[in-house]
Amino acid sequence: MLNYLVKRLISTIPVLIGISLLLFFMLRMLPGDPAQVLAGQMATPQEIENIRHQLGLDRPIYEQYAIYLGHLARFDLGRSARTQNPVSQEIWARLPNTLLLAVVAMGLACLLGIPAGIISALRPYSWIDYAVTMTALFGISMPVFWLGLMLVVLFSIILKWLPAGGTGGWQYVILPSVTLASFVVAFIARMTRSTMLETLSQDYTTTARSKGLTEKVIVVKHAFRNALIPIITVVGLQFGMLLGGAVLTETVFAWPGIGRLIVDSILARDYPMIQGTILVFGLLYILVNLAVDFIYAFVDPRIRYD
Amino acid sequence: MKGMKAGWNNAVLVLALAAVVGLWICPTGVRADIAELKIGIGVDADTLNPQEQTTTLFQNMCDLMYGSFFFQDPQGKLHPGLATRYEVAPDGLTLTLYLRKGVKFSDGTDFNADAVKLTWDRILNPKMRVPLRFGVGMVKQCVKIDDYTVALKLKYAFAPLAPTLSLSLVSPISPAALKKYGQDVRQHPVGAGPYLLKQWVKGDRIVMVRNENYWGKKPTVAKIIWKVVPEAATREAMLRAGQVDICYKPLPSNVAALKADANITVEMPLDTRTIFMGLNCQKGVTANKKVRQAFNYAVDKKAIVKKILFDTAEPMDGPVSPKVFGYFKMDKQYDYNPNRAKQLLKEANFDFSKTVHMRTPQGRYLFDRQVSEAVQAYLQAIGVKVQLRTYDWPTYVAGLLKPIDKTELEVFLLGWGPLILDADMGLYGQFTCEVNPPRGLGSAFYCNPAYDRLMKASRQEQDPQKRLVLLKKASVMVWDDCPWLWLHVEKFVIAYSARIKGLVVTPTEKFYPQYITLQ
Repeated sequence: MLNYLVKRLISTIPVLIGISLLLFFMLRMLPGDPAQVLAGQMATPQEIENIRHQLGLDRPIYEQYAIYLGHLARFDLGRSARTQNPVSQEIWARLPNTLLLAVVAMGLACLLGIPAGIISALRPYSWIDYAVTMTALFGISMPVFWLGLMLVVLFSIILKWLPAGGTGGWQYVILPSVTLASFVVAFIARMTRSTMLETLSQDYTTTARSKGLTEKVIVVKHAFRNALIPIITVVGLQFGMLLGGAVLTETVFAWPGIGRLIVDSILARDYPMIQGTILVFGLLYILVNLAVDFIYAFVDPRIRYD
Repeated sequence: MKGMKAGWNNAVLVLALAAVVGLWICPTGVRADIAELKIGIGVDADTLNPQEQTTTLFQNMCDLMYGSFFFQDPQGKLHPGLATRYEVAPDGLTLTLYLRKGVKFSDGTDFNADAVKLTWDRILNPKMRVPLRFGVGMVKQCVKIDDYTVALKLKYAFAPLAPTLSLSLVSPISPAALKKYGQDVRQHPVGAGPYLLKQWVKGDRIVMVRNENYWGKKPTVAKIIWKVVPEAATREAMLRAGQVDICYKPLPSNVAALKADANITVEMPLDTRTIFMGLNCQKGVTANKKVRQAFNYAVDKKAIVKKILFDTAEPMDGPVSPKVFGYFKMDKQYDYNPNRAKQLLKEANFDFSKTVHMRTPQGRYLFDRQVSEAVQAYLQAIGVKVQLRTYDWPTYVAGLLKPIDKTELEVFLLGWGPLILDADMGLYGQFTCEVNPPRGLGSAFYCNPAYDRLMKASRQEQDPQKRLVLLKKASVMVWDDCPWLWLHVEKFVIAYSARIKGLVVTPTEKFYPQYITLQ
């Protein structure tokens, strides 16, 4: 197991280099000059050139990449072109917020989505199944932006129960995490329902029933446990998406996460910041996938990593 | 010779500043000791070094932390600040600045001529990043006369230099802070303003507290929290829910609803920023003056203002905002008249088979893309084929600065907001040959030697009345030549709790909350 972990961790290095390479060259293909953006609209060509030199953008592109890789090897993500702060400092200031939101949203989504999916599968084509399906459809179809604003209107302006935005105590997490979870919960519920329906129709379930086991034991120990693998896969993938795809939720709820940082950096052509944030996301995504692989082994004894 | 009356004592000056912000009278039941004020803003600051800053909102913050030599009130009148007065030499090439004595920066460092000279040396150093350096491009050097007097030596006479000294662009930074932090002073602002930075949580909030050593009247607000709330609708919700006290730039579409709320005050003074469609005067179909005039007649600006901008703007009736010195309402107006437009196009032998290329930024100005789409539709209505392309700002701005032989600009939407209440930055900064790209941002490539002579003379002229005459002549000339499709002047919208009284809101999109009272 340990060997496997080490191997997987080592294998992240070429993946990260690949991400950095692609990102580095793709960014430089974008129209728009970061030196121009920083220098301002009325800057003289000399002033723009000075800034280009300070940012190292006047060097050949392969040299720029080599320097960047050298810094990366020392875990140095460089300095933001826009704020001149170390990129790592800017990311670390926001990463806990992004992680907190993603974890709470995913927790909520699992807490609601899995039981809903199971209940739906146990009573297929009943009113409860239709209700879960309709709710899931609603969750998937509803624009996050709209839902967020509606929740703000209801809970912040009309009822005055919860803050409309910002960070602080636990009450600040509720609305953004509910909004973010709405999409994922629908996915998880749908996935749980379909895999549960499949496992409930398997021979081993019929065997368990014929052995006289209670329905509770059949559902929890036999059907659900076997249905867990695809659910975990979906949870893992969705968690990765929550980390990077929470821009709209962060915007609506003034949540100072990384999503907004990426958008602002792209608009300012802040190359070091874009590279740094995407790289960190890439790493997180890899780590989440790794964690998912290990959870498989715990859930399914047939899976072993040697 | 022009200058402020000498010999004002400090107490009188302090009272004068308080008069500007209108709050010395505190009737019974009104609180003038406010522990905390929360302001919802859309973006986080990139830098709090006033010389590096280009965004009005953060210049506003810099004003509060650094102070300024003068304060230009909403009517354009200058009031003493860190400088008590100034004098301009008869040839207009030297401005002597008399500094306030007994002032300290918030870190305890003395404010004096050495500190001011150090700041000016940094501003004028081409190796330093000063995006708005062009605003003081006429200054050659800063010379120390004595401990509290400096002289600004100019390359050429520049009549509106004094109002320029009200900008945070030239606000002095503590020499000790510069020594301690170097370039990182952008994260550690230390000035001589009424507030100092307490905390900066990136992407979340900027917290300022009262500078207890401030030289002027003690601010009524002890702490100001600038809360970053990117979504305007959320900022409004937070204002309604009492989570913030001031909402910076709410959605124009919600202004009517906010105004209807008795708990909220909405202010929307006319801004200095004009929004226009630049028309290339040297290349393509718009090189013909009659075509440019026809385009002006073809567009119903009043309808755009009403239907798209929800009355948060006013149609332009002169080449600059009515808020600036040197504005004149033009006798001839380009009121919506599609028949006149068609007639002018016919006189110009306009080739209707040609496609006009229009470009617009998205998200830079209020409803910029929608306004461009409306203009496109109006032009198409008189038979002009128009292709509209949308760009993000960095891509867009790169396209604006290409020289005439490389430019692809034909018709393009842009905004231009003078930093001071003077017409020079609009009339000179957009329409003289000198500012044609790549040397400037006069991307309409308007170049008229007769106009240039007027504008140059207006910069030399120290008599305000004579200067007005020159600015009027220049305005009439450029208005007739139509290098722009004159669209509208934006309004600066700010909404705040109705309990707040005495908030000073300026046409340069700034507001000063330090002396507010609460009912």
